[in-house]
Amino acid sequence: MMQSNTPNTHLPSSSLEARPIVSVRQVSMVFQTGTVALKDANLEIAQGEFISLIGPSGCGKTTLLRLLADLIKPTSGTILISGKNPEEARKSRAYGYVFQAPTLMEWRTVLSNVMLPLEVMNFPAGERKARAEKMLALVGLEKFTRHYPWQLSGGMQQRVSIARALAFDPQLLFMDEPFGALDEITRENLNLELLRLWRETGKTIIFVTHSIPEAVFLSTRIVVMTPRPGKIETVIPVNLPQPRTFETRELPEFFQIATEVREALRKGHGYEVTE
Amino acid sequence: MTRISPQLGPMLVVALIVLALYWPLMYLANIPAAQRALDTGAALPCKTAFECATQLRSPVLPSPQQLWNGFRNLMFPLNSPNAIPLNAAVTALETVVGLLLAALVGFFFAIGIVASRAFERSLLPWIVASQTIPVIAIAPMLVVLLGQYGVQGWIPKAIIAAYIAFFPIAIGVAKGLKSPDPLSLDLMKTYNANNWQTYLMLRFPASIPYLFTAFKVAMTAALIGAIVAEISTISFQGIGKMLAENSRASDVVAMWVIMLSSAVLGILLVALVNWTERLVTPWQRAKVAATPMPKQARVSKQEGG
Repeated sequence: MMQSNTPNTHLPSSSLEARPIVSVRQVSMVFQTGTVALKDANLEIAQGEFISLIGPSGCGKTTLLRLLADLIKPTSGTILISGKNPEEARKSRAYGYVFQAPTLMEWRTVLSNVMLPLEVMNFPAGERKARAEKMLALVGLEKFTRHYPWQLSGGMQQRVSIARALAFDPQLLFMDEPFGALDEITRENLNLELLRLWRETGKTIIFVTHSIPEAVFLSTRIVVMTPRPGKIETVIPVNLPQPRTFETRELPEFFQIATEVREALRKGHGYEVTE
Repeated sequence: MTRISPQLGPMLVVALIVLALYWPLMYLANIPAAQRALDTGAALPCKTAFECATQLRSPVLPSPQQLWNGFRNLMFPLNSPNAIPLNAAVTALETVVGLLLAALVGFFFAIGIVASRAFERSLLPWIVASQTIPVIAIAPMLVVLLGQYGVQGWIPKAIIAAYIAFFPIAIGVAKGLKSPDPLSLDLMKTYNANNWQTYLMLRFPASIPYLFTAFKVAMTAALIGAIVAEISTISFQGIGKMLAENSRASDVVAMWVIMLSSAVLGILLVALVNWTERLVTPWQRAKVAATPMPKQARVSKQEGG
């Protein structure tokens, strides 16, 4: 499963006829402070899609991801993940989560960090190492298994964290601005790597970002979110050819879609919020 | 061992500076006393106050030469019950056992503080109060109490050392257990880790550096606790017993020698903690050895995005 080479070739952006792996219906989230972080969100995500949530700070994109992951509970509405509620989904280890920071444990080596979820989930001892090594090879870090996290660059640390999220072979991958703290060059490289990973593993990825080019380059669909209250403004399909390469960024369609996203953000007053 | 030698140089420089400052101070303090001794016609093998300043039987401040002689007298024979080595070993034993005992108790308190607010609110004030009672007051009573149950010798002193040392350990470890950032705790939640796993794989390892910082504070506190306990109770062995004896005998030089020896003992015990720390935290050893990379900006998260 983990390495099933079912490639995500040309997933039609409107492939909603397939069984939705994530279904969000009328979900709202009001924090104790009274902040409406998310209002009446509706979203269906099909197996194998690459969905980006984009918007300025305070638009609820991280909130939506945390709701899907059962790190917080919605005030109202229903969320289903492969037909289960988020808590059941979390308990059945349906998803891997990549945070803004690599959150590696500094006392563990790279290999041991990737083995962490497998230890928590009581994988057989013999299998842990094999799986972790395979995942590290997948992110191109097979030569760094014995290093400690601080010995790696920020980009490499984030790759370890991606390998860790994939180690137990979840169907879903949640990524919360994973490359936000990295420089532009590293980020573009990691974007390419992430797409390769997505093609090779067939995972469904939900990716939070506030970079428009990043969202357009990666996604099959872009969920544009706007603040006050946080809501889904519109969903924009991205019909750029797969597999995407460095040249994809030069295509006229690329700029067209980027413009479309920008206009949707402006329409929802996404530009009025200063960070 | 390569790490000890670079520390030795600066230490020696400080020792030399202290010695250079001490010398004139010693003369300043001793010359009036020497003059008085000469005036009263005491039998001294010297003519002038300046000469006698370094040869008084009970000097205000001992001369380095007197210290050196006193040191040689008190160090040997190594296994003599009246020499420093054996007594220092007993005090070191009390201190280390006290520290381990304190670590055990401190750890339980730390877990209590982290796991339960009720525990923290109801017990922490009493723990703080317990630390304000002077050891010198509580030590004799504890010895009497423990003596009732046949606990004698060095063990009561270790318990008193532990009594002083457990507080910094409890507070330090509690802070360490709370140190994992919210994202790391979220990460464990996404794995559906249970409480025990979160402690075992995240909170305990994260608290180790805090534990050792606390150990360094607690070690010196425990040493003082052990010595004070020895002084304030009936003791047959230990640095504190030597101090008490020589205090009664008004042997100023010996007092200074013992005091300096206990300082050296303190340095050695803290070095022992440092050495243990390097042994059990290999990831930090490497970090100290090399220039660390700039730390990744930690993005704090709640409603962001």
